[in-house]
Amino acid sequence: MDLGFKGKVALVTGAGSQIGFGHEIALLLAKEGCDAVAVTDINADDVQKTAAAVKALGARSAAIPADISKKNEVDAMVAKALAQFKKIDILCNVAGAILHKDNVPLDEQQWETWEKQLQLNLFGTMFVTRAVLPAMKKQKYGVIVNIGSGSTRQYAFGVGMYAISKYAIDLFTRQLAYQEGKNGIRCNCIAPGPARTNFGAVLREGTAPPPPEQYAKMREAMLASFPLGRMGEPADIANITVIMASDVTGYITGQVIHVSGGNVM
Amino acid sequence: MDLGLKGKVALVTGAGSQIGFGHEIALLLAAEGCDAVAVTDINIDDCNKTAEAIKKLGKKSIAVKADVTSQADVAALVKKIIDTYKKIDILCNVAGGIASRVPFDKAKPEDWDRDIRLNLYSLMLTCQAVLPSMRENKTGVIVNIGSGSTRMYGHGAGNTYAIAKAGVDNFTKQVAFNEAKNGIRCNCVAPGPAPTNFIPGPDKQGMVNMLAKTIPMGRGATQADIANATAFFASDLSGYITGAVLHVSGGSVLD
Repeated sequence: MDLGFKGKVALVTGAGSQIGFGHEIALLLAKEGCDAVAVTDINADDVQKTAAAVKALGARSAAIPADISKKNEVDAMVAKALAQFKKIDILCNVAGAILHKDNVPLDEQQWETWEKQLQLNLFGTMFVTRAVLPAMKKQKYGVIVNIGSGSTRQYAFGVGMYAISKYAIDLFTRQLAYQEGKNGIRCNCIAPGPARTNFGAVLREGTAPPPPEQYAKMREAMLASFPLGRMGEPADIANITVIMASDVTGYITGQVIHVSGGNVM
Repeated sequence: MDLGLKGKVALVTGAGSQIGFGHEIALLLAAEGCDAVAVTDINIDDCNKTAEAIKKLGKKSIAVKADVTSQADVAALVKKIIDTYKKIDILCNVAGGIASRVPFDKAKPEDWDRDIRLNLYSLMLTCQAVLPSMRENKTGVIVNIGSGSTRMYGHGAGNTYAIAKAGVDNFTKQVAFNEAKNGIRCNCVAPGPAPTNFIPGPDKQGMVNMLAKTIPMGRGATQADIANATAFFASDLSGYITGAVLHVSGGSVLD
């Protein structure tokens, strides 16, 4: 199936981690024919590696480091991408993180943590989108794919504030889809379940790993919560993200698609 | 993007109408690499045309007449396809229709029956017949066609249809949950208005354009919009997605 990416320019945020969704999405966009894939991350060294990998696939690329929770950095990053590639057809908002420890009740978290969590996951995504939209509106074309989270429909994992920030992404997706439909701009959200990335690391930071027996039990219990019996892989997320970035899905907008092995239905 | 459909056998119901979703889905599955695409419809003449079109793409096909609201017809249909092609990897439940345009409180329970049978029982019957072979092979993909009407209110006529289609959404999730352990996925594609025989009258596109005035994207669905989403769900590229209801409706359904 030809995804019709010839001549398209994409921007992928959170593309630093070499085992993350952003990296996988950026590479798949390049493989499927995008002309250029600009990548950004707070970690400049890692995102350079992703840009090099995109170029190795024959697409143009630029690594433009930025902290997306800072509006001025976002504006400068997007301006740079536009200066180099002249347009942005596809925006994949992947950057985000869990900023609090596992299983800390909402009311026991520092309120500064709440603020930081919203600033990064919600405002970060909104800053990037806001900076990219004028160029998309001008050309009457654009596709935005946001990465949401299965945690918005899970209550046992103890990631309350993170889940709240991601639920807001679901609604942002719909608001944008409704508002921008007339401008030829689509916006959808992919909500992954737990996957083999660096993502959960912060939850375990500073805590000793559980003894092997307990870990095996925890793992078994977790896998049992996925009807398909396995965790997600970056490729699972990249495939649907890239399909949603393509005109093959040109009539789909405002949708939140859970990619979680049946864990969220 | 290679959908990895090489060697796969698909069954598409409701594939008769030459302007319908089933026809478009069957042809796309063939074009994207399926080895064989069996097609069924209550109208065998139309369905034969679809099978011919698939064969022109260099793929195997048979057209089988079946009324998908009849358990006997469905059992014979599935037996014939498995006898011919040895397996069914992909089942696309497209057959359906608005049987009664009478608001539910004015309709007789017999009218309700026709809508529920045609739009819900039909899928349950085909799944019931196909699942044993999919379980045996420990692999299978089911894509149900739902409807954006499940989330629209006040259109009066056709509301039993919407009720039946809401049943399809839940049926999708039940099958997804129950069959995941057997390597079987089940998802639902819910279309917005498209210029198919669902739209009465000769000027189908004109009617769709009128309906589309309130749709954020400003247009109705095309057959290709629905076929693309269906083919993606039928492919292992969506191997971690199950139990999803995906609205393909230009933003007219948002949640």
